[in-house]
Amino acid sequence: MKWVLLCAIALLALVASVILGPAAVPFGQLLHSDIVWNLRAPRAILAFLVGGSLGVAGAGLQALVRNPLADPFLLGLSGGAGLGAVLAIALHWSGPWALPLAAFVGAVVALGLVYRLGLIGGAALDPRILLLGGVAIGAFAAAITTAIVSLADAAELRNAFLWLWGGLSSASWDAVLVVALYAPLPLAVLFAASRPLDLLALGEEPAGYLGADVEAVKRRVYLAASLLTAAAVAVSGVIGFVGLVVPHVARLTWGHRHRALLPAAFIGGGALLAIADTLARTVVAPRELPVGVVTALIGVPVFALLLRRWTIA
Amino acid sequence: MVLRRLLVVLLVLAACHPPARRHEASSARRIVSLLPSFTEILFDIGAGDRLVGRTTWCDYPPAALAIPSVGDGMPPNIEAVAARNPDLVVLYNSGPNVAAARQLQRIGIRTVLLDLNRLEDLAPATRALGHLTGQDDQAESLAVVLDSLAGRPPPDATTSLVFVVWDNPPIVIGRGSYLDQLARLAGARNVFHDVAQPSSQVSLETIAARDPHWIAVLSDSGVTPAFARRREWRAVRAVREGHFLVLPGSLFGRPGPRSGTAVQQLRGLLAR
Repeated sequence: MKWVLLCAIALLALVASVILGPAAVPFGQLLHSDIVWNLRAPRAILAFLVGGSLGVAGAGLQALVRNPLADPFLLGLSGGAGLGAVLAIALHWSGPWALPLAAFVGAVVALGLVYRLGLIGGAALDPRILLLGGVAIGAFAAAITTAIVSLADAAELRNAFLWLWGGLSSASWDAVLVVALYAPLPLAVLFAASRPLDLLALGEEPAGYLGADVEAVKRRVYLAASLLTAAAVAVSGVIGFVGLVVPHVARLTWGHRHRALLPAAFIGGGALLAIADTLARTVVAPRELPVGVVTALIGVPVFALLLRRWTIA
Repeated sequence: MVLRRLLVVLLVLAACHPPARRHEASSARRIVSLLPSFTEILFDIGAGDRLVGRTTWCDYPPAALAIPSVGDGMPPNIEAVAARNPDLVVLYNSGPNVAAARQLQRIGIRTVLLDLNRLEDLAPATRALGHLTGQDDQAESLAVVLDSLAGRPPPDATTSLVFVVWDNPPIVIGRGSYLDQLARLAGARNVFHDVAQPSSQVSLETIAARDPHWIAVLSDSGVTPAFARRREWRAVRAVREGHFLVLPGSLFGRPGPRSGTAVQQLRGLLAR
């Protein structure tokens, strides 16, 4: 029943985001409209894929670092992606894909540095150092970014910050194709780690006794979740709250078993971002809100409500 | 109009704090201009030879480039400005500049904050600068020309355009901007005239649905912007058909003595 409801909400969200928009498209022409086919449809699908990826990445990272505050962007990725994007603009790297590529590379470099820091105590990946390293690398990248913005001549650099706050304006079938080809591998790695992630919740030592290869699982989960987030940030900037709130909501409803939790986080994250983006495009039309504002405005009250129900029960 | 002029006078008065008062009778001899439009106006009214500092953006007239730059002015570098030893600093009236003006007054430098957002701000700013430099007559004749430009009834729109400031997310120019006025006077309808703000983020599909004939961008490079090659932008007809207006920022991006020229050139480009 829960699954039927979730899938219905997701389907409704996708249909709504294709039907609704600031441009008036007559109902009868929906299937023949260029706006619907080349702008709304790829944007809805990209929103769903990005939201789903962030939901799963968040759920995986929260289990890995055993910290309910973990968010896919907490581990330095947003700082790295922002630095990449600002560099692309400041150095006038041209080409239609320069910005997303630079952001992706920036996120992956940050991910590499944080990963290296996480191994600083030896061969075991230490979740606490991972968190600290993520915050440190993120702050470092943000400082360099701010230095570039304040020293460079380009007035347009301020707009790089707008991009960084997240948005699906650059959605196209090309972007959908890239994400649809890229995301399945890290998603599969995370889904395959469901059972070890359940064990990890008991603590690393008990998980080891119960037969999980703890070190390998931690590395796989960290790399897969981060690479998933890096792709999301490249096509849509930093969209907050989806990766933080959706896993918690899914956990409150589906429990702690990752076999159910991860798919629920994917569908729920996708639905949330598709709904948020539809609202961002329509509520203040012809103007548009940054989608991160909407995800926070929807996500936080829902989260608070569920938290209240959960703590009372 | 009267109210706006009064406001400028009040701003001038408010900006002249006690340490500066002894200068007030005399005209400024050493001026730092922190906005390209002010630099252009000062040259136009015959006070260009008294400029001792400018921003990196002040590139017109060519003689301006010979004046030492005090940085990009966003926000102003107080020490670089003070090092030019000015007796008047002219700033654009905005939040960070108000703080900078206060700092300069604290070290005894006279400052003036002027509004310059739209065409109708030009004449009052020109008169204020004329008064401060003792070039009242030249300023008045320029102000009359600028006033008539601002008051000119726009011709009927024969074409339409959108000013794209940024592509991801798409940010366009609305009614509150000087560029909207420029387009109107040149005979083009800004398809985002209904947006009251100077600029705003919009959805790409709104641009596609409003179907402007031209995509106007401010750029000194003169080349078609990179977003023209992005697939999602090809949903906009003007992008598919390559109807780009690449306008040099120095002439089109700022209100100033050359605004009339900008209108004329834009009209010429639109008639292609």
